[in-house]
Amino acid sequence: MRRVIIIFSIVFVFLLFTSQNAIYAMHITEGILPPRWVFTWFAVSTPFVGIGIYHIKRKKRMVPSYLPLVGMLGAAVFVFSCFPIPVIALNGMATSHPCGTGMSAVLLGPFVSVGVAAVALLIQALFLAHGGLTTLGGNIFSMGILGSFSGYFAFKIAQRCRLSLFWCGFFAGMVSDLFTYLGTSIELGLLVINKGGSFFKATAEIFAVFMMTSQGILCIVEGVVVGLALLFIYKRKPSILFHLGVIKNDTKPIQA
Amino acid sequence: MEFLHHIFSDVYTRQNNWLTRMDVRVKLFYVVLLLAINLWAKNIFISLIFLSVSFLLLLSIKIPFMTILRSMLLPISFAILILLIKGLHEGEKEWVSFSFVGYKVLLKEEGLLSGLHTCSKVLGGISLVIIFSFTTSISRLCAGLKWFRLPDTIIELLSFIYRYIFLFLDEVSTMWIAQKSRLGHTSWKKMIKSFGTLGGMLIIRAFERAERTNEAMQVRGYEGGSILTINLTPWRKQEYASVLGLALILPILIYIGSMQIW
Repeated sequence: MRRVIIIFSIVFVFLLFTSQNAIYAMHITEGILPPRWVFTWFAVSTPFVGIGIYHIKRKKRMVPSYLPLVGMLGAAVFVFSCFPIPVIALNGMATSHPCGTGMSAVLLGPFVSVGVAAVALLIQALFLAHGGLTTLGGNIFSMGILGSFSGYFAFKIAQRCRLSLFWCGFFAGMVSDLFTYLGTSIELGLLVINKGGSFFKATAEIFAVFMMTSQGILCIVEGVVVGLALLFIYKRKPSILFHLGVIKNDTKPIQA
Repeated sequence: MEFLHHIFSDVYTRQNNWLTRMDVRVKLFYVVLLLAINLWAKNIFISLIFLSVSFLLLLSIKIPFMTILRSMLLPISFAILILLIKGLHEGEKEWVSFSFVGYKVLLKEEGLLSGLHTCSKVLGGISLVIIFSFTTSISRLCAGLKWFRLPDTIIELLSFIYRYIFLFLDEVSTMWIAQKSRLGHTSWKKMIKSFGTLGGMLIIRAFERAERTNEAMQVRGYEGGSILTINLTPWRKQEYASVLGLALILPILIYIGSMQIW
C-alpha cells in the first residue's frame, strides 16, 4: 500500500511537470515557507522593490508619460509570461510558460523590472492562486531580483561582446530563466536546513528536477523567443528600442 | 490562451453578496492575520479549519465547486512536491525505501510528517487568499492598500497593469488564432518563430497604447501626479464589529494553533 502511494505521488509530480496545461513551477506557493524565511525573503526583497518604485516615481515626475509606459509594458510582459510554450523534449505534448523578467529587465532596466515583477506577482498570487502572499518576498527574490538582474547583465555583457541583437536577447531570456529556477531551488533547498538535511544536495536535486523536466528546454526556448521578439521590434519599430535605451546605433541587428 | 480566461476572471467580485459588500479593510485585516496564524500553527487543525470554513463561505455565495477546485489545483500539486522533497531529505527514521529507475528512494517518517504539515498550511493559506480574491475587486483592493499606506506608485502600477492585462490577453488571443489558422503552429520550429513575432507585436502594441493613453490622460489634466481617485467611506458600526469579532476569535485560534499534536 505504501509503495502504491509513493508511486502515485511520483507519477503525480511527473504529471505536474508534463501536463497539458501550462506549468507554473517557478513560484513558491502559499504556506510553503516557514515564518523566519518569510521575513528573511521580505527583508531581502523590500529594498530592491523600494529602489524600483523610487526610480519609477522620479522618472514619472520628469516624464509624465513614464507611468503609462511602465504599466503598459508591465501588462504586456505579464501576458508574454503566460504564453503556453511547447516543451520540445516531449514533442509538444506539454506546455510551459516563460518568466518574462528577462524581457522586462531589458526594456525597463533591472530595478524598474523588480517593481513590475512585484506587482505582477501580487496579481498572480491574488487572482490566479499562483504564488502566495506570505511567499511574495521569496518569489520577488527569485523571479524579480535574480531574474531581472541576471537577464539585464547577460544582455549588457552580450552587447559588450558585440553580439547581434538576437543573441543579446537570447542570453537575457535564457540566463534570467535559469537564475529564476536557481533562486527557487535555493529557497526550497534552505527548507531542509536544521532538520538534518543537506542544503546543497536538496538544492541540486530540485534544480535538476526543474532542468530535466520541461524547464531546462524552456530556458533555451525563452531565450530564442526573447531574441526573436527584440529582432521583430527592431525591424518594425526600432524607435521603441532607441527610446527605451535598449540599443545604440552600432548594435548589429540580425545575424551573429 | 483560453485557460487564463477560465481562471483569471473577476466576474465573481462583481456579484452582490455579503462578502463582496464587506469593507475591503476588514477583509485585509482578516486575511493578513489569519495567514499569519496559519503560518505559525504547530498542527494541521488550524489550516483545516481555515480550509473548510473558506469552502463553506465560498459555496454559500454560490461560487461553483469546480471553480474553487481548479483554483486550488496548482497549489495542491506544489504541496505534494514539497511532501516528497521533505520525505526524501528530512529526518532519519526510514518509512519506506525502494529502487526507482536505478535511484534508491528512501522516504523518512519525520520528513513526511513535516511535509504533511506543510501541505495543510498550503491548503489553509490558499483557501484564505481565494476567498479574498473571489470577493474583492481590484478597485477596492487598490483603495484598501492606499488606506494601509502602500506607496501610490505601486497602487497606480497595480491598477494600470491589471486594467490592460485583459485587453492584451484578448489581442494576443486574436493574433494567436490568426497564426494558427495560417499554419504558423504546424511544427515546433514554426511555433517558436510565431511566438517571437507575437511577443514583439505585443510590445509594439503596448508602446503605442501607452502613447495614446498618455495623450488621453494629459487631455484630462494629468501632469505626473497621483491617478487614484477612489476613496473609502469612514468606518461604520459593522466594520468595528467585524474587527472586534476578529480580536475575540484570534486568541482562540492562536491557542488551538499552538497545541503540539506530533
